[in-house]
Amino acid sequence: MSATEQTPATQSTLKDQIREFIQVQLAEPKGITTFTDEESLMETGVIDSLGIFRLVSFLEEEMRVRVSDEEINAETLKSVNTIEELVIRKRK
Amino acid sequence: MDFSWSEEQAAFRKEVIRFAKQELNDDVAKRDREEEFPVEFWKKCGAFGILGLPVPQEYGGGGADTLTTVCALEALGYGCKDNGFLFSLNAHMWTSELPLMAFGTEEQKRRYLPKLASGEWIGLHCMTEPMSGSDAYSMRSRAERKGDRYVINGSKTFITNTTHGDLFVVFANVDPSKGANGVTGFLVEKGTPGLVLGKKLHKMGLRTSPMSEVALVDCEVPAENILGKEGSGQAIFTHSMEWERTCILASHLGMMQRLIETCVKYARERQQFGQPIGKYSAIANMIADMEVRLETGRLLIYKAAWLKSQGRHALREAAIAKLFVSEATVQTCLDAIQIHGGYGYMAEYEMERDLRDAVSGKIYSGTSEIQRVIIAGFQGL
Ligand SMILES: Cc1cc2nc3c(=O)[nH]c(=O)nc-3n(C[C@H](O)[C@H](O)[C@H](O)COP(=O)(O)OP(=O)(O)OC[C@H]3O[C@@H](n4cnc5c(N)ncnc54)[C@H](O)[C@@H]3O)c2cc1C
Repeated sequence: MSATEQTPATQSTLKDQIREFIQVQLAEPKGITTFTDEESLMETGVIDSLGIFRLVSFLEEEMRVRVSDEEINAETLKSVNTIEELVIRKRK
Repeated sequence: MDFSWSEEQAAFRKEVIRFAKQELNDDVAKRDREEEFPVEFWKKCGAFGILGLPVPQEYGGGGADTLTTVCALEALGYGCKDNGFLFSLNAHMWTSELPLMAFGTEEQKRRYLPKLASGEWIGLHCMTEPMSGSDAYSMRSRAERKGDRYVINGSKTFITNTTHGDLFVVFANVDPSKGANGVTGFLVEKGTPGLVLGKKLHKMGLRTSPMSEVALVDCEVPAENILGKEGSGQAIFTHSMEWERTCILASHLGMMQRLIETCVKYARERQQFGQPIGKYSAIANMIADMEVRLETGRLLIYKAAWLKSQGRHALREAAIAKLFVSEATVQTCLDAIQIHGGYGYMAEYEMERDLRDAVSGKIYSGTSEIQRVIIAGFQGL
């Protein structure tokens, strides 16, 4: 069973918060209105080089997790889903 | 929250100032004129332990925390008037030692860090290209994997430490279709066939810090010389810039303090219209503003350094500190010259050199405009 399935209530709130941050702070200023939870946000241009660090600041300040330098890469921060997985892993 | 240095840090600070004043000030004006890098200063700093301060002890470094390192760099900037030399030292620390510490394999760390920390080797960082500066990831340099090797081609410019450098951290794109996500870091040793030093570049300031172009012509490195993974160049570069922007201008704090002390002394001694010029509010106010800039700069750099020492990210704080301190230093140099009148404009008084050196702070490690872009970007703009 994946971590996502264990506590659905908390997970959905978490994913919503992540999605909302990305939507409002990173996507909309670039005129991007829709993206899915699976899609690669770097490839579609939602997250650029500065966006990565705004996202990391959000995860550290709002989500209260520490993101290490090695975790700042195109796989770990690829999509809403992988970012959520990172937060869950870090909070364990 | 505690704004004081510990007893050990304060003692270390004193010791660094003593060392810098005694050992790192010979012939600065002459070397500035002749664009000569002081190799002997480098060796002295290696022996003193400065070059490896942030490097863990197990790799031959001092294992100092970020604030202690900043404290030492500030002390160096106060005691040593060779800003070009200190710039070279910072480039070595923040853009070669730090990325190795964070992204290097165990084997790479064991191989290179002790040499860099002791000063036996000099490190440097090759990112900027003739067509890509602020927009660094639009680089044209390419690296292609061929069996157990990478072949790198490209040209780099404005590269610090080249003529005396031993370990080149080179960025090239392994897959341009991925844009910035194809940018990758490589460790290239001096003497590697295809690593060619180009034209020496002559600068307005920081003239004791060597700089030249670098060409990579079918430059082959073993696959194990990749730093991090394919495509992790962006993370490495941002990591280096975050550290560099946090710490590189700590020495400017020391420089500003030195200038303030020189100005106060002069304003007390120099008499015009029958009284010391410091009695005129126009002069006193300039010195007060210098103090405000110095103290504000300290708070910004210490805050960013504190965040890094907590293992946290400080991209925004580092951008604010870099922007403020670089511009504050230029203004302080201009005011120092103004307070000294015609004497301040003369090379002999050494303030014109400080000014020439300080101007570059608004350009390297991301221009002032780019720092503002980052800061505004954090506001969603
Ligand atoms: C002393 C010194 C040492 C250096 N050492 C190294 C080194 O060791 N290794 C290395 O790789 N590089 C090094 N550099 C290069 C340095 O990083 C670049 O010069 C810097 O990033 C700016 O790039 P550029 O010179 O191509 O200017 P450009 O990027 O072409 O900028 C030109 C002007 O346009 C402005 N500008 C650009 N983009 C924007 C934007 N989006 N918004 C607003 N304004 C913008 C800039 O602020 C600047 O005013 C060094 C530079 C100096 C001066």
